[in-house]
Amino acid sequence: MMAMIKRNLLLYFRNRSGVFFSLLGALISFVLYLVFLKKSMLASWLQVPDAKVLLDNWLIGGTLAITGITTTLTNLSQLVIDQEKQVTADLELTDAGPLRLFTSYLVSATIIGISMQIVMLGIMWGGFYLTDGLTLTLGSFVNVVGLIVMSSILATAVNAVIIRGIHSEDSLGKLGTIVGTASGFLVGTYIPVGTMPSLAQNLVKFIPGSYVAALYRQFLMDGKLTTAFSGQTTARRHFEKLMGIRLNWSTLLTQRATYQIMGLIFVIAVVLAFMPKWWQVRRQRRQIHER
Amino acid sequence: MLLEAKNLTKTFGDQVAVDGVNLQIKQGSFTALLGPNGAGKSTTMSMLIGLSIPTAGEVTYDRKPRLGVVFQGSVLDEMLTVKENLDIRAGQYRRVPTDRVSVLSKQLGLTSFMSQRYGTLSGGQKRRVDIARALINNPDILFLDEPTTGLDIQTRLAIWTLIQRLQREHHLTVILTTHYLDEADSADNVIVIDHGKVLAWGTAAEIKRRYAGNLLTLAAASPRQLAARIDQQPMRMTDDRLVYDLATAQAAMDILVTNHDLIENFEFRPGSMNDAFLALTGREMR
Repeated sequence: MMAMIKRNLLLYFRNRSGVFFSLLGALISFVLYLVFLKKSMLASWLQVPDAKVLLDNWLIGGTLAITGITTTLTNLSQLVIDQEKQVTADLELTDAGPLRLFTSYLVSATIIGISMQIVMLGIMWGGFYLTDGLTLTLGSFVNVVGLIVMSSILATAVNAVIIRGIHSEDSLGKLGTIVGTASGFLVGTYIPVGTMPSLAQNLVKFIPGSYVAALYRQFLMDGKLTTAFSGQTTARRHFEKLMGIRLNWSTLLTQRATYQIMGLIFVIAVVLAFMPKWWQVRRQRRQIHER
Repeated sequence: MLLEAKNLTKTFGDQVAVDGVNLQIKQGSFTALLGPNGAGKSTTMSMLIGLSIPTAGEVTYDRKPRLGVVFQGSVLDEMLTVKENLDIRAGQYRRVPTDRVSVLSKQLGLTSFMSQRYGTLSGGQKRRVDIARALINNPDILFLDEPTTGLDIQTRLAIWTLIQRLQREHHLTVILTTHYLDEADSADNVIVIDHGKVLAWGTAAEIKRRYAGNLLTLAAASPRQLAARIDQQPMRMTDDRLVYDLATAQAAMDILVTNHDLIENFEFRPGSMNDAFLALTGREMR
């Protein structure tokens, strides 16, 4: 399994332009936001103290969530390419077996998701540090890194289910474009969830990445929110709901509830992703007889 | 028998790709599955390997086999070097000696391009690496799906010699598919497959004897007169030429000796694998 993980990572990182564009795909929302949206959003936040820094953190949260989704999907595409080119057939003849093989794709996608999110965090944090003097406390940094790991695992599992239906590299590329474009809206990175029509707001709740984005925002913005809304609980709740810092089911979700929802999505995704592989192993076992 | 297939059948919808194939493969033998494009060779092979599940019939090995497979297309990574490719595959097996890759690279002559990217190799070099990959786990049976298709004649010969050497020196059982008839000529067993059915089975010599006649062409001033003297009907007759399809060389010599006064010139050509193949599979193009 280690050999396969190494292979997938080598293939990903040796394709320099692939890595560059994968990063650019994640960076694009960041750049577009700076160019088009930052000014108008700041204007509507005038009454909030420290608006600039709050908004920066809000954007970092959304962008990291997207990065986790798109980079793990890009790396999982290796699985589809391998299937298309009979590489999977070759690999399944080894002692590794289909289940371990499948797991190795997932592990390498997760590693890619983690490393690309860390790179993105570095770029965005560095940029905002220079322009707006953004700082990060050690506590929130540790929380964010923890979430980077968890969100990569979750995004990998969910993407593994999505790509099950894809059998050619060509349609995979198209799926990548769709996911890349849609995720920015669905996770509420481009526009705050609260300003969306109610149908869209409900749709957002079905996207695992939304919960990840919400948690990122909580970790990144918590300190600033406490000072900005000192004592004004209703105003703070309204703001959190508007900006997708806490998602609203019947009430605003607590951190714990958000984690539980993510956990549930993860378990379902893993079952759906592994079921066909497990079935394949069983069928193959029945097929070849030995005396 | 190392490997036995009984009534192996595979259908894709209405299409019958393999239709009740029976095979027996002996330990250490060299078997060529011969057939035109789309005959069902590759499908048969992938069922023997266990990669595709037969619609009916079964495949039985006399023990848990270690398989080596050279696929029709490249399955190694173009972006990685030869060494990386082989090391990664070696890492996928349990109990592969640590020096296995370097031993194989020497044995198959890969040492000069081990650190080159696989994607930059020539067709013949790539094939040698593919074969090295298939041998990593020291297999009992080596399957090769059209290993020489698309290669030039020198490379084909080199690859072919390599496979035969491996079979002899390492007592490998080799099963390959090909549509090059000259290659089938040197196999222990030739299995001619078409439309998913086994049409003929035996050594190349047996198949040629059974399905390819010997052609005797006679040049004569008066072919009609000559034809009247010979019992057998000619296959073709022109103004100055007669062509006979004969079972044996002896029959040809008899004709030549008894009618030498009427024969101006002659050509005798023993039946080739080509003739047998065309006799079995017809002249239609696929």
